[in-house]
Amino acid sequence: MRTSAPRTRLLFRAVLAALLLLAAVRSEAEPYIAVETGLKCSQCHVNPTGGGMRNAYGDVYAQTLMPMEHLGNAADVWTGSLSSFLGIGGDLRYDATVNQVRGQTSTDEFQMEQTRVFLDANVISDRLLVYVDEQVAPGGAINREAYALYSNADHDWYLKAGQMYLPFGFRLQDQTALVQQVSGINMTTPDLGAEVGYLKGPWDAQLDVSNGTAGGPVVSDGKQYTGQVSFVQPLWRLGLALDENNSAVDGRRTAYGVFAGLKTGPVAWLAEVDAVVDHTVQPSNRSAAGLLEADWLIMRGNNLKITAEEESPDLEAGVRRNGEMRWSAVYELTPVQFLQLRAGLRYLDGIPQDDEEHTKQWFFEVHGFF
Amino acid sequence: MRIGRAMGWIGLTAALAAGCAGNGNGLDQNGNPIASSSSASSSSSSSIVTADFDSIQNNVFTAICTRCHIGAGAPEGLQLDAAHSYGLLVGVPSVEQPSVLRVKPGDPNNSYLIQKLEGAPTISGGQMPLGGPYLPQATIDAIAQWIIDGAAMSPEVMSQAMAQRSEQAPFEVVATAPADTAVATAPVRTIAVAFSQEVDASLVNSTTITLEAVTPEEVPTATQPPLPANTSLAAGNPATILIRPFVPLGPGTYRVTVRGTGGGAIESVSGVPLDSDYDFVFTVETPR
Repeated sequence: MRTSAPRTRLLFRAVLAALLLLAAVRSEAEPYIAVETGLKCSQCHVNPTGGGMRNAYGDVYAQTLMPMEHLGNAADVWTGSLSSFLGIGGDLRYDATVNQVRGQTSTDEFQMEQTRVFLDANVISDRLLVYVDEQVAPGGAINREAYALYSNADHDWYLKAGQMYLPFGFRLQDQTALVQQVSGINMTTPDLGAEVGYLKGPWDAQLDVSNGTAGGPVVSDGKQYTGQVSFVQPLWRLGLALDENNSAVDGRRTAYGVFAGLKTGPVAWLAEVDAVVDHTVQPSNRSAAGLLEADWLIMRGNNLKITAEEESPDLEAGVRRNGEMRWSAVYELTPVQFLQLRAGLRYLDGIPQDDEEHTKQWFFEVHGFF
Repeated sequence: MRIGRAMGWIGLTAALAAGCAGNGNGLDQNGNPIASSSSASSSSSSSIVTADFDSIQNNVFTAICTRCHIGAGAPEGLQLDAAHSYGLLVGVPSVEQPSVLRVKPGDPNNSYLIQKLEGAPTISGGQMPLGGPYLPQATIDAIAQWIIDGAAMSPEVMSQAMAQRSEQAPFEVVATAPADTAVATAPVRTIAVAFSQEVDASLVNSTTITLEAVTPEEVPTATQPPLPANTSLAAGNPATILIRPFVPLGPGTYRVTVRGTGGGAIESVSGVPLDSDYDFVFTVETPR
């Protein structure tokens, strides 16, 4: 009996080492964790551009290095594998929120932000997979991603086709972040198309062509072209993104992005600036948004996230006249594997005459994932 | 050491975050220059939204929804800026649930817009605005009342639509309510047929729009005497024809035919013909 614990630890270390080696060809996570660890998004996610289902490395990392404590047997790690060909994952976020809008009665409620189920069929081992990301709550099911992904043997390039999130800057967890709204590219606007990716060495690059309608009906023969390239180092990263959408009948929309990450001690910094020139509205509009986020890993399983954002919805009017700011302070506690508790405040401050731009949102979130 | 570094980054964050919100000088409540805003001085975001499209556009769609629903890549293709919102809402099937119209004139309960704003259990995806704060019930009620009143177009939007209309654009039926082969609950008082362009009102009559009762096995071929009904363009939405049977439809199967061939056939207001007849069949069941 006494010899079983060391053997278990040895086995666990061997499995972990093997997964780390395997992970060298695939990799990412929530962007701040990627910056914190100096890894690419594809290190932890099945989707090379991040978000959604975790791969084996991501599962092991999320259960052993993220939480304050790993309950149960140390070697008992869920890797999502139902068989050698089939994997499953899930993500649930359940919130209690209090919304305070200036001039309005505050509201508070419980709500299911999302429940998503991921399925990964590795039909040709390590080369061809079919992936589905289905949001099953709230309300009826809605497909977010469904694609086939083919990688070369070294996993330094891949081809993806189907419905997918488009690559543009940091894939933040907060879909209401101002940079996500200005670019219009986030995890609520997947599109049908194809993507080619390059992941060799410090480079991480993608080029997509898609319908450009975010799942809506196609109304012209125009297409959306989205690309980004980033250079990833253990302590920093820098990326550029470009999106040109010609799918509208009444003009094109072009978005530019610059994003960067930096690790200083226990703090991971994220910065992104996006600008958009939109000719699909009359008169044409130029807008921009910026984000600066600091994530302080106070101790294992305890992260404090401070975010400052600024947006100018119309650069002609000028930031000083119509700019809006949003500050967020979020504490993320991961006490045990599969469970995260998040609490925070988001404060939006805009032009004086718009009550909707003077909003406080307090929230407490239970985040379950596997 | 760790605390010192932490204080350092907190200070830097505060310094970088010291940018201020705009002062709003010379802008309306939506941040648009007053000179280019049609209703800048007449409304504010805290004013009561009224049951007309201008008020809803200015205080809800433009002020709130266009944070995300703008541009070609707007979620589900739904652009809610002033130039696009009406045409993409009224009589247009939802992308998330194609059997439900985003706005069904006269029927807010079966309009996906209202369901999404209220967070109805039948919707796909999240309640809007995504992540909240959600609209006050009084605002949703005003939008529902606008739909009950026929979801009329504002004069400004109507003039834009006229300006943008192209004679080259196809003229076709884009949606019906009830949908083809759908099952509706009795009594059915109104049937809507939405077109891709405005319809020539002078051609909407009992010879071009017919409603008839059929038995299921007769659906492919049988012809019954038309049921008496009023046919007219929806108030404020000349791209939609409303059919109101004199007697609300009870349980049974019904067919609507839009005649697009022959003399006096349905045409768009710019003279583009429908070119072929269009029909759809639906079933009405007893409420459970």
